[in-house]
Amino acid sequence: MWGKIKHWVEVRLGLEELINRHLRSYKTPKGANFLNTLGFVALIAFIVQVITGIMLLLYYLPHPDHAFQSVQTITNDIPYGWLFRLIHNIGSNIIIGVIIIHLIHVFLRVSYKRPREVTWISGCIMFFLVLLTSITGQLLPWHQTGFWQTTVTSTIPAFLPVIGEGISSYMRGGEFVTGITLSRYFSFHVVILPVIISVLIGLHVLLIRRQGISTSPSLEPESSKTSSTEFKRENHPEGRPCFPHFSLKRLFMVMIYFAIVFFILTFMPNLFLPPETNIPANPLMTPESIRPAWYFLAPYQLIKIIPNDIMGISLVVIFSAILLLWPFFDAKEGERNILKRPILLSAALIALTLWGIFTVWGMY
Amino acid sequence: MKRYLLLQIVILIVLFSTDFSQAGYRETFEKEFMLSPWSIAKGETSACIQCHTSDDMGPEMHEITRQWKDSWHAKNNISCHDCHGGAPEDASMSMMHQRGFKGSPQDSDIPEFCGSCHIAILDNYLKSGHGKTFCDAAEGPSCVTCHGSHNIQQANMDIINEQLCSQCHTYERAKEMKQALFIVENKLSSVEESLAHLQMLGINVDDQEKSFFRTHLEFRALFHSIDVEAVRVKSSDYTQKLEIIESKIDDSFNKLAYRRNFSAYLFLLFIGLSIVVFLLSKSYEQK
Repeated sequence: MWGKIKHWVEVRLGLEELINRHLRSYKTPKGANFLNTLGFVALIAFIVQVITGIMLLLYYLPHPDHAFQSVQTITNDIPYGWLFRLIHNIGSNIIIGVIIIHLIHVFLRVSYKRPREVTWISGCIMFFLVLLTSITGQLLPWHQTGFWQTTVTSTIPAFLPVIGEGISSYMRGGEFVTGITLSRYFSFHVVILPVIISVLIGLHVLLIRRQGISTSPSLEPESSKTSSTEFKRENHPEGRPCFPHFSLKRLFMVMIYFAIVFFILTFMPNLFLPPETNIPANPLMTPESIRPAWYFLAPYQLIKIIPNDIMGISLVVIFSAILLLWPFFDAKEGERNILKRPILLSAALIALTLWGIFTVWGMY
Repeated sequence: MKRYLLLQIVILIVLFSTDFSQAGYRETFEKEFMLSPWSIAKGETSACIQCHTSDDMGPEMHEITRQWKDSWHAKNNISCHDCHGGAPEDASMSMMHQRGFKGSPQDSDIPEFCGSCHIAILDNYLKSGHGKTFCDAAEGPSCVTCHGSHNIQQANMDIINEQLCSQCHTYERAKEMKQALFIVENKLSSVEESLAHLQMLGINVDDQEKSFFRTHLEFRALFHSIDVEAVRVKSSDYTQKLEIIESKIDDSFNKLAYRRNFSAYLFLLFIGLSIVVFLLSKSYEQK
């Protein structure tokens, strides 16, 4: 009976052939380890955000008079609403952590070089869009923290010369954070940004399928040199089939991702929900301190310590542009092993250390 | 190499084209940007506070604003005009009687002044020994004698103390009242603490808070009658009311415990699954 069902499905869908062609005969490089699965983990984390977001959307009301109460209803009255809300909240922080580690890993393996420049750029753009999604999502529950964080984040672009005021005004839909801002952020958070990110994920995955997972320069040096006008996919003769070897690694990391989410949910459910998130937004009462989310602390601190508004924001923009276009700054063919490139390695380590210091500094 | 050079030039141009002269930027950022209520229209900024904190005013006027900022009123968004009237949005008309400005009350008007909001307390106070003495002899304790004025804090049992009460009479009677209040006051504090804790954890306690607020208000109003017997007799009623709220609070804590257990179960499930997948992955690697 089972055999018949399997045959019926196989004739119509050809799953076996699909798995054989795309997973079993698709070889991953010899040095592919758990860190290589972080892109996949980020994809799963994004899907989790979409699913939990849809569940929240069923009860959420994007109106200043009802938004806070609707989130309270989701958390307290809707069966398991608290679970979806907390997974969405914790997941939004973990996805950024995963992407940051993924970016650092790709950078340290110098995997952004030809022919993977577009893959790197699409990844960076997705990172920025995920950050933007996070910014827009903060306002939606219409609590004190979100309201005042939005007031701060929507004011920062105003420091940019010429276009700054326009950006700020567009973000808020006026001079102040109001219901217009809420409906604007809502549209961006639930439709515009997720759609753009999904398209970019498609492009990113397609590029990885075409180019294959980047090899580890220390374990499997690139076999042949091709000119910049040609493309030749690495065969990885010593590599392992994607299924089941690499797929199990991916599955393991996805399990770890869920374990981390539920660990935080069990032992620190309010880690990313400070007490002010339980107070409705009050434009007349400024909280004692307004701090952005942990992943914005470094740029926030940078802007704070630099004694000039234009310079502070310009530096953040320049650093972001350098990150985005880094493959073109390091486009020269040559050594891919970062351990043999002391200048690049020290620059990367200094940047990471500074980022860490500014993040910790921003907390105080 | 050219690319690195280009990058350095871009950074240098930005660094040199910026103005370093704005040394006070950080202060401006923190004071005016981080701490000011950005979203309210500029016109709504209180004219009372602007004027009373200006350099034209003496230190005693500055002190009024400072005391109010630390007060229980300020924490509950009760501003100057809520008591003194006037038009805080319009500096030129803010102290005009036509705009409802009442100014500072005469001593004899203080109970009515505070009682315009604290209605039930005013009723009980006027019927009490304190109120009668105040009205008949135009002296004796009014609201500000015990609670202060601009620096008013949340009322609690510590207000009844020997130093304050013995200014007018012996402490014995006040001590009896304090003992009569003790059980209910303790329960009020523990319920209030639990409600604040639940709210901080994201639990909706609006109904319990409303019920608590009503009970709290009624009990405080009763106390202002300074009738020890009445307080003793009604204490059990208030204790009962507070116990109902406490049982709802317990339900909320049970709900939280269920959430924690449920997510702990999911956590252990995924830990278990990750171990299984890891072992499976290792076994495939060995093949």
